[in-house]
Amino acid sequence: MRDVEHLVRVAGVFVLVISAFLIARHFLVPETFGKYGHYRAAAATEMGSLPLRYAGEPACLRCHAEQAKAKAGGGHRGVHCESCHGALEAHAQDPKAAQASKPGEAQMRAFCGSCHAKDISRPAKFPQQDLEQHNPGMPCSQCHNPHNPKP
Amino acid sequence: MLSRRQFLKTAAATALALAGRALAAPLAAAEKFFHDPPWKRKKPYWGYAIDTTKCIGCGRCVGACKTENDVPREPFYFRTWVERYAVRRDGETGVDSPNGGQDGYPPLRDPQEVAKSFFVPKLCNQCEHSPCVQVCPVGASYKTEDGVVMVDRKTCIGCRYCIQACPYGSRYFHPVLRVADKCTLCYHRIHKGLRPACVEVCPTGTRMFGDLSDPQSAVTRFRETERVLVLKPEMGTEPKVVYKGLDKEVR
Amino acid sequence: MPVGLLESLRAALPHVSGFIYPNELELQWSVLIVLYPYITGLVAGAFILASLERVFNVAAVKPTYRLSLLTALAFLLIAPLPLQAHLGHPERSYEIFMTPNPSSAMAMFGFVYLWYLMAVLLMEIWLDYRREIVEWSQTEPFWPKRLFYKLLTFGVTNLSPRSLEIDDKLGKAITVIGLPSAVLLHGYVGFIFGSVKANPWWSTPLMPVIFLFSAMASGIAGVLLIYMFLCRVRREPIDMPCLDTVAKYLLTAIIVAFSLEMLESLQTAYEAKEHFDIISLLVEGKLFISMVLVQIFLGSLVPLAILGLNQIHLFPERVRRVCYAVSAGLSLVGILAMRWNVVMGGQLFSKSLRGFTTYKLELVGREGLLAAAAIGVMPLFALGALLYLLPPWPAGGDPMRTR
Repeated sequence: MRDVEHLVRVAGVFVLVISAFLIARHFLVPETFGKYGHYRAAAATEMGSLPLRYAGEPACLRCHAEQAKAKAGGGHRGVHCESCHGALEAHAQDPKAAQASKPGEAQMRAFCGSCHAKDISRPAKFPQQDLEQHNPGMPCSQCHNPHNPKP
Repeated sequence: MLSRRQFLKTAAATALALAGRALAAPLAAAEKFFHDPPWKRKKPYWGYAIDTTKCIGCGRCVGACKTENDVPREPFYFRTWVERYAVRRDGETGVDSPNGGQDGYPPLRDPQEVAKSFFVPKLCNQCEHSPCVQVCPVGASYKTEDGVVMVDRKTCIGCRYCIQACPYGSRYFHPVLRVADKCTLCYHRIHKGLRPACVEVCPTGTRMFGDLSDPQSAVTRFRETERVLVLKPEMGTEPKVVYKGLDKEVR
Repeated sequence: MPVGLLESLRAALPHVSGFIYPNELELQWSVLIVLYPYITGLVAGAFILASLERVFNVAAVKPTYRLSLLTALAFLLIAPLPLQAHLGHPERSYEIFMTPNPSSAMAMFGFVYLWYLMAVLLMEIWLDYRREIVEWSQTEPFWPKRLFYKLLTFGVTNLSPRSLEIDDKLGKAITVIGLPSAVLLHGYVGFIFGSVKANPWWSTPLMPVIFLFSAMASGIAGVLLIYMFLCRVRREPIDMPCLDTVAKYLLTAIIVAFSLEMLESLQTAYEAKEHFDIISLLVEGKLFISMVLVQIFLGSLVPLAILGLNQIHLFPERVRRVCYAVSAGLSLVGILAMRWNVVMGGQLFSKSLRGFTTYKLELVGREGLLAAAAIGVMPLFALGALLYLLPPWPAGGDPMRTR
């Protein structure tokens, strides 16, 4: 025994270190870890609680049924409101405090052109115009109702 | 009169047959379990589809995603982006994605030489066998019960191994939070019955989202009626984003 | 917003050639991640040199036995530093011990490192030095040092022949376990890269083996140079049979490492899979100097020629010493270049296989050249401290006596 005493003491240190580790583990591993898999289950809940910025079209229909009806019958029926009007959750929560954005006449050709300017990369059947030839300088809304843009 | 050996042989054979019969049903169920896709047994299970033949490269999706998810505005961090392909008549193909396509694209420098050109939106493929989940050392990269792959911002140590492991370039290192970040399929929206922001603002119906376990959902019907491909199938990642209209030039 | 980072990324944008996925502009792993495999490689290599004597009874290298162990320990102590400096949240790095993901090679790091440090290296060094430690705990005049030795005795001063015999046997057993442990310590680093199927520059089953053999070369070369340097400093004659043997093992390690690397390149070129085009451009362009000139020519072919020549013809001692020092130095540089080529090379080309991004090594900053250089030389300072505390060649003692 005398001849291995030094080894016994070192072994004791090892046992101490491992015990300390196991005890630490009890406190340091998050509570929901491992519930559904090798991850902290609460993390998914946290991701699910992040704030909304876009309201989604059904929210707009509550107040803007008239525009919705116009849109449903025209070429823009597949274009959701926020595609042109930007993120509207703030507006849906408090319409007076947060105004919806609308492209003004000065920016209109560039704005509508971002989808409809003629471009060989776009599908050929998609409605597009060469904006330098097509009524140059005129704001699009003069002839096209944005909610029902019959040519 | 049966000998002992004959008796034992018959008994063993009978026992085996009975065991086989008894185990047949659970074994078949187990086999079905492992071969069936997860959306046959979990509801909902989220999927995504892209019809590139409709994409007009307007870039709304890129901007909406950044707005909805507080993605840094710099042109080096994207949860989704759109690539433009221009296949020239001489066989060369040029690909570009300026600022992810958010502000549109500059005119092609030699449109007369271009045989065909098209747009391909990209995003996290929400892989079933996700290599980014496989390599995360601490369990910060994970897949939820409903099939969405995400990053636990409080656990991630920022080693960036997952970003290296993604074959599609879908991940980036968040410069402020100093953790890995990526598309979450707008997890906070889909649980409220809303669409992901990119799908919401897509004006042409290029992007589709839905519940794979619902036979009537847009994605299920798309997958079952169209010829679809996934990106880099040889990687074995089993992406849940399917594409229509891919070209041999697309990586 | 980290303004400096964003500025440097914006400056990098015009230097992109071809097409890269937008998220690929920023390189994820910096020069610090080049350093880490280099340092652990030196650990593994130095340890394997030590085990040559202990396990394989190559008596000639005895004079370097303790030095190799101390070198391995010095580099091992510094090894976690580049990783910690690189992490986005170093304060969370303990999570690798708390919730390691069993499917992640990187998660192995914490436990393999601790196992190798505590159960192998520290135990082996302690067992080998125990006799001196007990002596010094009683005779050392400088009291802080004396206290240090007293602590290391664990309060046991028994030096009976039986206890020393037990120490010797246990030490040998630990060295035997230590060999696969050292292989694991560095092999898993190779696996971390080799298992990334997304990256065709990294993905190969050969990666752990290539890393391991080049690590052995670097460790042997490192100990060789340190031994020569220390002999010069201590004004002791260099044990030439020892040096000749170490050099022979260095040559073997370089031959194996180089053959594996060339096999990898040859097969890649022969199979010419889809990624071959972009990888050829990478090697001919951005990696030409660091790979073809430094890693292959200066770091492998020249040392091979010099050391090989020394096997065919017996040069005078002075010439041999110069040959060995030059070869060892070149190998060390070449193997650092190899780590650079693997880590940075794999990130310079796009996974779309259509273009390249760019890497600018900053001078200052957490992951800059100065930080990397500082971390790079720290192991030498650690070794200095260890040599002071645990001199491998006690004053007046026989340099050949190691236990």
